[in-house]
Amino acid sequence: MTTAPSKPITLIMAVVVTCVVAATGLAATYAVTEDRIAEQDRLAQENSLKAAMPDASSFEEVTDETLLADAEAAAGEVQVNGVFTAFDDAGEEIGWGLRLGSRGYGGYAQLVIGLDTSGSVTGVSVLSHGETPGLGSKVMENDEFLAAFTELPAGFTVKDVKTVDGISGATKSSRAVKHAVEAAGAVYADVLSKGGE
Amino acid sequence: MQWRLPVRSTLTCCRREASDVREWMKVFNAGLSIENPLTILMIGLCATLAVSTQVQGSLFMGVAVIFVLVMSNVLISAFRRFIPHEVRIPVFIVIIASFVTIVDLFLKAFFPPIYAILGIWIPLIVVNCIILGRAEAFAYNNTVWLSIADGLGMGIGYSLVILVLAFLREFLGTGEVVFFEHTVLAMPAGYQPPGILMLFPGAFILFGFMIAGTKWINQRLERKKG
Repeated sequence: MTTAPSKPITLIMAVVVTCVVAATGLAATYAVTEDRIAEQDRLAQENSLKAAMPDASSFEEVTDETLLADAEAAAGEVQVNGVFTAFDDAGEEIGWGLRLGSRGYGGYAQLVIGLDTSGSVTGVSVLSHGETPGLGSKVMENDEFLAAFTELPAGFTVKDVKTVDGISGATKSSRAVKHAVEAAGAVYADVLSKGGE
Repeated sequence: MQWRLPVRSTLTCCRREASDVREWMKVFNAGLSIENPLTILMIGLCATLAVSTQVQGSLFMGVAVIFVLVMSNVLISAFRRFIPHEVRIPVFIVIIASFVTIVDLFLKAFFPPIYAILGIWIPLIVVNCIILGRAEAFAYNNTVWLSIADGLGMGIGYSLVILVLAFLREFLGTGEVVFFEHTVLAMPAGYQPPGILMLFPGAFILFGFMIAGTKWINQRLERKKG
């Protein structure tokens, strides 16, 4: 099909009009969904914190920048994406929830690790992950594996974490969770245990 | 003579409609069978092999592809006379990307569990060759009416193949088919699932068998016809 070349102005107009219409449509969709997406993210985070710390009734995000920087340094390769102080019904501080990004097979998995004031793990929950569905995802959905970390002694070290059995066939995904727990231990030892308020 | 005219025109109109429907069905069926995007045209395989590890994820991937494909086909065929030949590809991409982003935002807002399964593969529908391929090969040269048939046929054809592939991979590769946390089907206890099926090599091998199967069925059908 040979057609006569179009005038430059026609070409420009066609692209500009398309982009303007598309941008308007997207802006409208975004406006409709924005609040709901933010709400869903907040809910997901809340649920993960609750799952990692069943005894806590409320959480408060730590905004102290030096503490966060220290936590980041202690966690090493693992990203610290949020530190939350956990309170029980009486308003007593009972521990911390750490939101950590740990590298698995399919990018960073967002994990929440709950720690009590003595430094034991109260729970591990998965906020989001990009592991292979049906393979690496089995690690992230395996409650038994995630619960194994709560057996670790207070003040556990990397060596203790190594004793937890991974899931065969999904070594890298298992390691993502282990690294996050190790990082949580390091953050507790270096920052939180030192009265890190 | 004069009173006959309207009658005749209604007749021709109806006849044209009947052949239109036949043509529509022909285009629609082509996407499902002889021009199936996955097993015959073999386009858009990357996302297919990646997503087809779970039946439930594949189902929503199929729905997302059908939506984007039909919408972009309709829009592109409706405005095909106003889209200059020289800039058609950028215009197609903007249109497709917009619909994909709409799907992406809606899934994130209203179906977060599904978004968690599909993740990156939803935005990547933008570069899925099936959609750009149909825009270029079909919608740009055909009416809106036929482009809907093409979009639906290709989209459903895509969904059927990805669902079969996902079923085989999930059932054989993990030993069970899970649909929204309900185990629908399970292998007898003691079955040791070959993990390779969940990875890309397994997907390629299974998909090869599916292509062979499609070829075999199509040849038999042709021989019967001939």
